[in-house]
Amino acid sequence: MFASIIASGLAAGAIYALVGVTYNTMFSTSRVMSFTAGQLAMLGGVFGSLFTLKLGMPVLAGFVLTLIGCAIIGIITEFVAVRPVLKSLDQHLYVLSTLALALMIQQVAAIKWGTEPQPFPRLIGLGNGVWDEKFWLPVLACAVTIIALEYLYRRTLVGRAFIAIAEDNFAARALGLPERGLRIASYALAGMVGGIAGYSGGELLLAFFANGALLNFYGFVPVALGGLGSNRGAVIGGLALGLFQQAANFLVGGIFSSVAVFALFIVVLLAKPQGLFGFSTARRV
Amino acid sequence: MNATQELISQAKVHAIWGPFNSGEALATTPIMARAKMPNIHPCVVESLIDTTKFPNAFRLAPSNNQWDDAVRNYCLNILKVKKVAVIGDTTGYGVTALGASVAAFKKDGAEVVYQANIDSTQPDMTPDMLRAKNAGAEVIVVWSVSTGMEARMFNTRAAMNWDVAFAGHPSMSSGEIAGLVEKPENWKKVYVIGYRSCSYDSSGKLPAKSQDLVDRLLKANVSVKDTLLWWIADGVDAIDLIAKAIEASGSTDGEGIIKYWNGLSKYPGYFGNFTFSPTQHNGYLTEEIVMSEASTARNGAFNLAPGYG
Amino acid sequence: MTAVAATVARNETTEWRAILLRLVPFALIAAAAMILPFVSNDYWALIGTRAAIYWVLVSGLNLIVGFAGHLAIGYVALLTLGAYTTSVLVAGNVMPEVPVFAALPIAGLVGAIFGVVVGLPALRLRTFYFAMSTRGFATIVAQIALAWQSVTGGGIGIAGPEFPAPFNTAWGFYYLCVAFAALCTWLSANVAHSRFGRALIAIRDAEVAAEATGISKPRMLIAIFLFAGALAAVAGGLFATLQTYITPDAFTFDLSVLFFIAILIGGRGSILGPMLGTIILTILPEVAAPLAAWSTFLYAVLLLVIVLAMPGGIAALLDFRNRRPLASNRAIVPRPAALADIVRKSAGEKSLSLRGLTLSFGNVRAIDNLDLDVKPGEIHGLIGPNGSGKTTTLNVISGYYVARAGTITLGEDVLAQGLPALRARHGIGRTFQTPRVIGEASVLQNVMIGGTIEGQATFIEALLALPRNRRDERMLTDKARALLGVVGLEALAEVRADRLQHSELRFIEIARALMLDPDFLLLDEPAAGLSNQEIERLAALIIAISRRGTGLLLVEHHADLIFDICDSVTVLNLGRILAAGTPAEIRTHKEVVSAYLGG
Repeated sequence: MFASIIASGLAAGAIYALVGVTYNTMFSTSRVMSFTAGQLAMLGGVFGSLFTLKLGMPVLAGFVLTLIGCAIIGIITEFVAVRPVLKSLDQHLYVLSTLALALMIQQVAAIKWGTEPQPFPRLIGLGNGVWDEKFWLPVLACAVTIIALEYLYRRTLVGRAFIAIAEDNFAARALGLPERGLRIASYALAGMVGGIAGYSGGELLLAFFANGALLNFYGFVPVALGGLGSNRGAVIGGLALGLFQQAANFLVGGIFSSVAVFALFIVVLLAKPQGLFGFSTARRV
Repeated sequence: MNATQELISQAKVHAIWGPFNSGEALATTPIMARAKMPNIHPCVVESLIDTTKFPNAFRLAPSNNQWDDAVRNYCLNILKVKKVAVIGDTTGYGVTALGASVAAFKKDGAEVVYQANIDSTQPDMTPDMLRAKNAGAEVIVVWSVSTGMEARMFNTRAAMNWDVAFAGHPSMSSGEIAGLVEKPENWKKVYVIGYRSCSYDSSGKLPAKSQDLVDRLLKANVSVKDTLLWWIADGVDAIDLIAKAIEASGSTDGEGIIKYWNGLSKYPGYFGNFTFSPTQHNGYLTEEIVMSEASTARNGAFNLAPGYG
Repeated sequence: MTAVAATVARNETTEWRAILLRLVPFALIAAAAMILPFVSNDYWALIGTRAAIYWVLVSGLNLIVGFAGHLAIGYVALLTLGAYTTSVLVAGNVMPEVPVFAALPIAGLVGAIFGVVVGLPALRLRTFYFAMSTRGFATIVAQIALAWQSVTGGGIGIAGPEFPAPFNTAWGFYYLCVAFAALCTWLSANVAHSRFGRALIAIRDAEVAAEATGISKPRMLIAIFLFAGALAAVAGGLFATLQTYITPDAFTFDLSVLFFIAILIGGRGSILGPMLGTIILTILPEVAAPLAAWSTFLYAVLLLVIVLAMPGGIAALLDFRNRRPLASNRAIVPRPAALADIVRKSAGEKSLSLRGLTLSFGNVRAIDNLDLDVKPGEIHGLIGPNGSGKTTTLNVISGYYVARAGTITLGEDVLAQGLPALRARHGIGRTFQTPRVIGEASVLQNVMIGGTIEGQATFIEALLALPRNRRDERMLTDKARALLGVVGLEALAEVRADRLQHSELRFIEIARALMLDPDFLLLDEPAAGLSNQEIERLAALIIAISRRGTGLLLVEHHADLIFDICDSVTVLNLGRILAAGTPAEIRTHKEVVSAYLGG
């Protein structure tokens, strides 16, 4: 029992952490929290199952196509739901536009893919029991992604340009950084991160349209707890959430575990609105 | 809900066949009763049939009690187990069926070591199966229509190296499951509700009338692979009954249709022989219910389960 | 009659005409609702009843989402709560049976309390976070409904309540729901057109300015959470009756989305818009029958289109008045003399004093050991280079920042720091460096907001349009019009504020601040962006204000204005006082000249 909790807790936690990173990546260049983050992860699972199981492609081809598909959806988010809204003074519009887009993605998936969870292909076929690939694959994917992102942000010019845009938009533009191009690139990157989350988690969560809404929330909790913009916080928050949730799942049962997670989330947020590791927002006056 | 009202008021139909799940039926039956609309449906929840409240509704299937009796008898008297786990989904049907089943098992002296209503879209069945195993369950009784959830339970059983038997709802024998189990062996040792009319006897033969229906379907290129023969038989019978009622009463008037149905005695359908009366709208006869071996479907009909006479 | 009173009288008739014009669309909809039974069948009764029930909920939610601007996307939670509460009370499976007409108010009460619970995070959380938290509540309620089998029947569900005759027929129930809908329209419109409605919009669009006028965000929000929660729960009870039988999956998140999108399609700050939005969204899946499965998709597309193309929604489309072009050669001609009739003379006993004020942002000393006095009736100028701490000083006095050291006293009383909403009651008003007005509201409404805390009527009285509220409105309207006359903008009273020029917005802020007859007025660069002629007129206005006994602290860069009208001047540099004294002294002060004024 204990081993199962740890295994599935870390796996689920890694998926939630990656969705949190998706949120952060989108936020980093646009200051926008997008409702499409969870949907991207859902599409990672759905595309993966579509390409490899339904269309019979080899695993690698299916993976690459999934990433491309999710990157495209990320770019669409930027075009349709983010850029037009950044121009207006109204603070809340991005919530509505990304919500609308996320709903559209979810409904299309429900109608075209179906409302039943569909199986996800076995990718590598290594391990069984608590060492089954559906448990270690998400954790591995999360680790690799985080390391790759750290390298991107700290060692490459593009990564540092992302950080510049995030920290001081006006200064970055004054320096001549191509803000729009960078933003599109970061949304494509976020799309891929989401796709990786869904693809690596496909065996655990199955290819299911409702995963979008589920991961929207469970992926947001690490961000809220770990502080907006902090990938490290997202990972810690995600793993903690995964372990807590699965412990509740195994010991008590499905319904109460989600109530427990929601209740805990709301309580923590009310106590520390910036998150456990975050800092306050900019001045108001 | 809107659809039912639309059928009654806008399309002005003369009879309604359906709905096909008990949750919806719970909501739509009162509407049809208000409109005195003749209604045949195959939903099993007990409360749907009530000759005083809903004199217009007829059930063309066994009631859930009849199903429950058959499964319980099989578990206690043929499999000879003492400890059972009962699992249902979270729909209206699942909750009612589980409640009735658990109560009946306890009354017969069995021990219900684990019971749960599980959301049918839950992707990982390990927590519940693990809890059932730790509690010492010797058979898992399942009351759900979700083939996805059931297939996941079969796969989890294999991953846990546990050889407990499953018994219960006929959806566990549906052709869809073939595509959802990881290995064909995972589908063994699953025993479901079946019907004499749709079962192969020990010499591998269907009853003559059913064989007729199968031949007709095959000739019309209707695939029976992904579904159950009894569902098709039930549908054919339902339409036939509506047609015969209109024919016999000479009009499409609702009252006449209902009167015809109330007078049926051992009407020879494909699915079974139906008997209705003004005070009995559960038309299926208990002796026609059997248990089948789930993975043995051919043309939607099954082999009888082991130990079943 | 004075010129101002004549203006008031003339405006009353135009106001009555405006009100009647506003009522016409509602009357049309009401008429259509009454006729419906005679031109169609039971099926449309169902649709009509559904639209009415949804509107009962949406009319309350409208105040939260459309007026206060809080994106509560999980409101189906309260519908579920109300539906189950009413059904359980009437079915009598937990406690003795309760007749349905008693069960509805009880459910309303439960809904009100939970409305506050669900809404409370809005006081602490930012937009997206709050939206997510309401989503969380929606899921929690749905899960509890599923799990609490002994009360709610779990997956089996529970029968909805039945009404006694004549409400138990399709059309009888329809009329009952239409009656509820009409009542809720009236109630929410009352709130919208009262000072509470305006305060909500102020909190949404100009929160900082709202605080400066004394509006207390928590109290406002709690009032509407109670109201909207109650309405949603009553709608839930009616919904349960409509469905005749409820299970947890009747309360999908799609319903929440429908409510939410109806408000945004209708347009924020409007009653008619969301009402039309609700009706349209209820009918849409029925009219486009083959598209029923795609209905949520269509709602989402509609929302996206509205957000991108028409953020104002249907209400903006119907706002014909604000399409009329404005004169391009408008001049602002204040009439300072009229001030005497409107603003009462200040008692002039207390001085505003700062002693030893110190504030740092990180390592930067923004204000260093500042001493300052503003006497009643005095115009005190505060000048200095950029970054010298002038606006920061005003912000500390206003209460937006807490000083690390030092005190602010009003006469003998020490002012508590960090509580900007309390300043208005102490008689301190202010304007802002960048005008903070509500673009979507009219000029008149913007000014009326300044006087919000002078209203006597409670929220309940506003809700029910009782006489004391009408008197409040009368008082606020008259005073606002009069003050607009004083600042010279009365011709633009009905115009949307976002159509005005920058200089006009500055004068509106002054009018707004004057609504409370302030003892002290803090003006933050009021002349910035004004033409020379306008600056002259501003000067006359400021002098007239000071003659009423109001003490003014004027932060400015226009040296001429300062030296012309100020009684005393303080010069700041790098947070410290460089010099203080009369304008004549300052003008020739060596250090001031070199650091700031230039030779």
